[in-house]
Amino acid sequence: MNCISLKRSLAAACVFSLLSLAQAQEPVAAPVAEAATKFLGLLDDTQRGQVVYDFKDEAQRQRWSNLPTTFVKRGGLRMGDLTAPQREAVHAILAAALSPQGYEKVREIVEGDETLKKPSGGPLFGHDEYYISFLGKPSGTEPWIIQFGGHHLGINITLVGGQGTLAPSHTGAQPALYEWEGKTVRPLGHETDKSFALMNSLDDAQRQKATIGSQMHDLVLGPGRDGKMIQPEGIKGSDLTEKQQDALLDLAGEWTGIMRDSVAKTKLEEMRKNVAETWFAWSGPMEKPGLAYFRIQGPTVLIEYAPQKLGGDPANHIHTIYRDPTNEYGAQWGKK
Amino acid sequence: MGEKVSEIVTASLRKFAVWCLAWAALLPHASAHRIDEYLQATLVIIEPGSIRLEINLTPGTDVAAAVLAQIDRNGDGVISAEETNAYGEALKRDLAVALDDRPVDLKLASAQCPSVDELRSGSGIVQIVFTVPPGVLTAQPHRLEIHNRHLPAMSVYLLNAGQPQFFNTAPPEAGSIEITAQKRSVNQDTGTIEFIFRPGANASAK
Repeated sequence: MNCISLKRSLAAACVFSLLSLAQAQEPVAAPVAEAATKFLGLLDDTQRGQVVYDFKDEAQRQRWSNLPTTFVKRGGLRMGDLTAPQREAVHAILAAALSPQGYEKVREIVEGDETLKKPSGGPLFGHDEYYISFLGKPSGTEPWIIQFGGHHLGINITLVGGQGTLAPSHTGAQPALYEWEGKTVRPLGHETDKSFALMNSLDDAQRQKATIGSQMHDLVLGPGRDGKMIQPEGIKGSDLTEKQQDALLDLAGEWTGIMRDSVAKTKLEEMRKNVAETWFAWSGPMEKPGLAYFRIQGPTVLIEYAPQKLGGDPANHIHTIYRDPTNEYGAQWGKK
Repeated sequence: MGEKVSEIVTASLRKFAVWCLAWAALLPHASAHRIDEYLQATLVIIEPGSIRLEINLTPGTDVAAAVLAQIDRNGDGVISAEETNAYGEALKRDLAVALDDRPVDLKLASAQCPSVDELRSGSGIVQIVFTVPPGVLTAQPHRLEIHNRHLPAMSVYLLNAGQPQFFNTAPPEAGSIEITAQKRSVNQDTGTIEFIFRPGANASAK
């Protein structure tokens, strides 16, 4: 390497380091806390008392589910009980905490539930049946959690200073395909398409390793299974080509990328470091629209995707879970 | 007299029809959750000094009555602790567990049951934990075989080994467990978990 090349390399390394530093120091929690504080300012005292829980409230932490709110009661404030400005403020919090595509996914899951309301006319479904709560006071520096969810959605966003995590969170879809505002919506469409593409990119020997030879009827570590972890199965990342590893991370990015970009990028970098130790398992047919279950499991991640044969078209009813065995509810960040 | 009886019957039928409609309105959309299956999910946690089977049982709405009949034996609409434990013992009789080809006796460690209403709604989960006295594990490969024959006509199953390093609460000197293979039948009512026990430093020195 000549002197000019060396200088260029050093300069590039310096710029990269500064960018990394800037990224690490980006105040993740502060803008979300600001949006949450604005929301709290729109509430009366009773509502404020109902929406904020103690950060250590274990019962509230676990009060999320794939089931409708009439079966598993949620804490916090019900969207249907809020005024229009209050509801807008909730959406502003979500938009601040999530990436644009993550926020869109949340909206599409909620709007999908709205389509279930129309045939029955009952009070069990629809965007009014989602709840917002905080564990801990919204803060730019101290840990706190935002919970938002209802039927087929349970997101738990833990924030502290420049860090954040979505673990554990549940996304789902029913219907998995519908029309909304004149467009066709598939809330979990990318997850489905990318998983089939990855599975179909494997050669015969790889496929054999990846395939679990038994039916997967549900998520193994879905809502209500906090504090558990299963033995990894399938094909190990070290047995994938570089391109397949990229596809695996890209697929996982459908969950990690729900969080705002700086948090998602940090998580994805962490997963890339561990990709050789990350497993991909599959159960079901390899052609769409098949009833195929898959799991991604590595040292700091567990993702499951399970179509549900619970009446109707199974491919139109999907449950997923995202966990981090090392950092559920931000356990790494101390205060619990 | 006949007309009066007829009026009473008609009025009763009307009331019943209204009650049915009201009840139907309260029911969730048919495809909201599990309907005609009884999900039995078993997590097997193997530690140097203990083996635990954590079984979560979730009846769908269509099979909830049949499952409830097994639990609420006196049919009073309330599930007592005695009935829950009795159900745990009944489940135990439907499980066949063998360690290294020798049948083992399960011990019911805990049993929890949600309310009748929760079970009927499809949201209730019966949680039962069994322990297996592993005896003295030797430093060699072992096989744990599990066959679940509980209510097979209505059930679907999940059977998974827990990740030992995640659960291991034993001190390092107690040794460690490594899962080497999991094999299951297609419907997961039967499975074998192969594992190795590695004694701790103190045990090796003895």
